[in-house]
Amino acid sequence: MADLQHDLDTTTEVGGLDGLPDPFETAEPYTPVSDPDGAPLERAHAILAAHPVADGYSGLPWALRHLPWYDLELGESSVDTDVPRLREGHVGALFWSLHLPEGLAGDRAVGATMEQLDLVKTVVHAHPEGLRLAGAAGQVTDARNCGRIAVLLGPAGAAALGDSLGILRSLHSLGLRVLTLTGASWASEAGLTRFGEEVVREMNRLGVLADLSGASADTVRRAFAVSKAPVLFTRSAARALRPHPANLPDDLLAELGAARGLCMVPLTAEQAGPSVRDVADHLDHVREIAGPECVGLSGTYDAGSAHPQDLADASCYPLLIAELLHRGWSEPDLALLTWGNVQRVLRNADFTARAAQQRREPSTAKIADLDG
Amino acid sequence: MTPVSSLEQARELLGEFPVVDGHNDLPWALREQVRYDLAARDIAVHQNAHLHTDIPRLREGGVGAQYWSVYVRSDLPDAVPATLEQIDCVRQLLARHPAELAPVLTAADMEAARREGRIASLMGAEGGHSIANSLGTLRGLYALGVRYMTLTHNDNNDWADSATDEPNVGGLSAFGREVVREMNRLGMLVDLSHVAVTTMRDALDATSAPVIFSHSSSRAVCDHPRNIPDDVLERLPGNGGMAMVTFVPKFVLQAAVDWTAAADENMRAHGLHHLDTSPEAMKIHRAFEERNPRPVATVSTVADHLDHMREVAGVDHLGIGGDYDGTAFTPDGLNDVSGYPNLIAELLDRGWSRSDLAKLTWQNAVRVLGAAEDVARELQGTRGPSNATIGELDG
Repeated sequence: MADLQHDLDTTTEVGGLDGLPDPFETAEPYTPVSDPDGAPLERAHAILAAHPVADGYSGLPWALRHLPWYDLELGESSVDTDVPRLREGHVGALFWSLHLPEGLAGDRAVGATMEQLDLVKTVVHAHPEGLRLAGAAGQVTDARNCGRIAVLLGPAGAAALGDSLGILRSLHSLGLRVLTLTGASWASEAGLTRFGEEVVREMNRLGVLADLSGASADTVRRAFAVSKAPVLFTRSAARALRPHPANLPDDLLAELGAARGLCMVPLTAEQAGPSVRDVADHLDHVREIAGPECVGLSGTYDAGSAHPQDLADASCYPLLIAELLHRGWSEPDLALLTWGNVQRVLRNADFTARAAQQRREPSTAKIADLDG
Repeated sequence: MTPVSSLEQARELLGEFPVVDGHNDLPWALREQVRYDLAARDIAVHQNAHLHTDIPRLREGGVGAQYWSVYVRSDLPDAVPATLEQIDCVRQLLARHPAELAPVLTAADMEAARREGRIASLMGAEGGHSIANSLGTLRGLYALGVRYMTLTHNDNNDWADSATDEPNVGGLSAFGREVVREMNRLGMLVDLSHVAVTTMRDALDATSAPVIFSHSSSRAVCDHPRNIPDDVLERLPGNGGMAMVTFVPKFVLQAAVDWTAAADENMRAHGLHHLDTSPEAMKIHRAFEERNPRPVATVSTVADHLDHMREVAGVDHLGIGGDYDGTAFTPDGLNDVSGYPNLIAELLDRGWSRSDLAKLTWQNAVRVLGAAEDVARELQGTRGPSNATIGELDG
């Protein structure tokens, strides 16, 4: 029911807030939840219990696709992620990647993405005690209040759009929440084309977040300028510390901070380094350059990457938070890192979408007209 | 009884029990004519020059529910992306005309729309090629609101034979039967228009829910592969499904069938494909048409089909599927979506009762969708989503 009528819902008053201070930027007073004299690991657990991790990237869908049988609620040793370990790690929300292996393009990318969306829904429905699908920011909070781990659909690759805004809208109707702007003619090394910019505007209108991890610097800068909602980097660390193409150089991190986006640091050896301290170094650096409101966490489990020692699976977040406490991170900054920043970005995207729907009709732009 | 008064009676009857039409290709027409620029073909006002369908004429025709076809061509790749665009088109039509068109997913929604005086809008996918051999994609279409899928279009797909193609798997393959089972589990109606008779029989054997023919007429009345033979019509009472009579002249009028065959032969004799619409081909076709005037179907032609189908399948298993905007020609008196009252008036003149006509126009279609929902609820209690692949089942 709600599916078909979704687009008819409108909130009339949001447009009226234009020009006023962004309500999501106003910090609420922070109430400490841990004993400042306690051991770091104890404090980490207490902080995470109040401010769980919203994890920016899980490769679980593709990993599960090839398992004949699995039980995520009881525990599943053939993957790095299951409900017991997510609970142990205090993960409260998780972006499930719909990325496809290299070589799936055209018709197959659209169909394969539909299959991935179907698979995630099937998996979530099969584990109702642990997992719950969430789209809007409010649904993420609802899931948490019900003791469920919120599953958000995305990121999907740009190829999933088949170069069509109609397909973007249909995938959004199926629950797609994040799209990575790489791997399409309109989002390439050369930056965003005119059609690419129109894709971003239509994503804003729908409330689909842009993921820029792996995008070229030109694409990133253009997306900063075009997008009215904050953008994400679902898997990017600091290039100043580790030269990986998906890691962000300092100038882009500074621009990200100005654009109020979110850089989610992956817990992978390749991008961050082989130890917990390496990951903490990246988090320190991103916080320093982009600001504490613009840094987040991305487990990147089940995506085929090696992980730093002691961060082998989704249960290990308390260790990382303890390391950050040891380095002097304040509780409010940690609360932003784990949960608050993702909530801000989701809320802001929802808000932007409702406002845009008052102003813009669904775009009828065609790639052949804009980029032809 | 004068014809005028039966027409008045027909309009009055349609006021209470409006038409549920099984197949309308407006989305495809909008794609082809204006590439989905819906403002360029605003269906809130008359579009007689361009389309068979707009809201004023749907109202005039007494249409209360429409299955909008999200058809895409079966002879091109990229069926899945194109289908998603077609679905987006329907959803945008609904968003643009919320006071006239009601988004509908269930039989109960249909009744609610009728009470509100809105046109219940459902979606049907026309051809199994739209799922690219994937049950996950089938479930995606269902989640997007698609409530029937025609198993094939004019070409065979890997798991089902079409009426207008060479026999391949001999009906439904093992995977084809699994598609039917999964459609039953979802509550998506199995549509047997366009499929080979072997596929009709296999699907009737495999299904546990009522089937539909979204736009097919009687083969005994007019011998064309797109129509339904009597032995299949006879199975509808046992299955609970329905055949929705179509108006397409080249399927319903024997003279038009023969004329079309001759016209196609003429094109081939000139070394052209029979569906070629290039200027050169059209010139040859026009010359043929000047020598051989095109036979014209009428309201009475369609009523002949319904009379026969009522006799064979019974009045509980009939409906209407005009195929407007999916066919170049239409019968006299059924020229566009405003014509349904003429058909009802003709049937009144032939002695059809009010209760028979209420079943034909509205009640049967609502019953069939509701029955498919009941079957789905039951099946969902006994089995989960199927992840069978065509590779596993058909080798």
